Amino acid sequence: MQEATFLILTALAAGSQHGYGIITDVEQISKRRVRLRAGTLYTALERLRADGLIEVDHEEIVDSRLRRYYRLTPDGGERLAEEAARLRANAHVAMSRLDVNGGAARA
Amino acid sequence: MSNSTDLERRYRRLLAFYPRAFRREHEQEILSVLMDSAAPGQRRPGVAESADLLANATGMRVRQPTAWEERHHPVLWIWVRVLAGIWLVILTGMLCQYGRWWGLALLVPAALHFYLALRLGRFIESQGEAGGPPSNPPAP
Repeated sequence: MQEATFLILTALAAGSQHGYGIITDVEQISKRRVRLRAGTLYTALERLRADGLIEVDHEEIVDSRLRRYYRLTPDGGERLAEEAARLRANAHVAMSRLDVNGGAARA
Repeated sequence: MSNSTDLERRYRRLLAFYPRAFRREHEQEILSVLMDSAAPGQRRPGVAESADLLANATGMRVRQPTAWEERHHPVLWIWVRVLAGIWLVILTGMLCQYGRWWGLALLVPAALHFYLALRLGRFIESQGEAGGPPSNPPAP
């Protein structure tokens, strides 16, 4: 799973969000390292929706602008949990090896 | 206000590169995101932002099979488009390298080939292939 995809799913894990909400949330989660652009975001959303990992929650019109809210599907939540567990396991191995070999390298 | 309508018009022009089915479904929504992301008083789309929209629109056109292609070797059509794109890139490279007049002469048919590869499925479809919807927008 690409990092952008992981971050988008993470942004939706706390509840439904619209496109701009996802962009700002992903920026916050990644500590301003990942700033999604609109084209990239919608390609990713389209793919996630086709894969059944997210779905449309509801739509709102604010200041005559359409906002479509997305949410995780049960499948999407499962995939995200699997991926998070995988990343944690990898990170754990990395950390423990650094501790054994270097001692000083604690993140 | 006029700044924001200028900006919106320019964004719409960029969004026109997306496939029609996608635009019908998402244009208003993406436009909202783009306008929300815009700096106050911004009049023109940023270069990186425009490139991102064009790249994703092209990618979507190359990947997305039409209903007709879906029924007749969908993977083959993706390859036709990818090869046409590669040919276009090689010829552009040759043209930049040698700068000969015939490079330009080759570029025109290459661009035409790429365009036709993108359009062929839709064209055949519009010629009245029986059955099936004219396009396949994703289910809402």
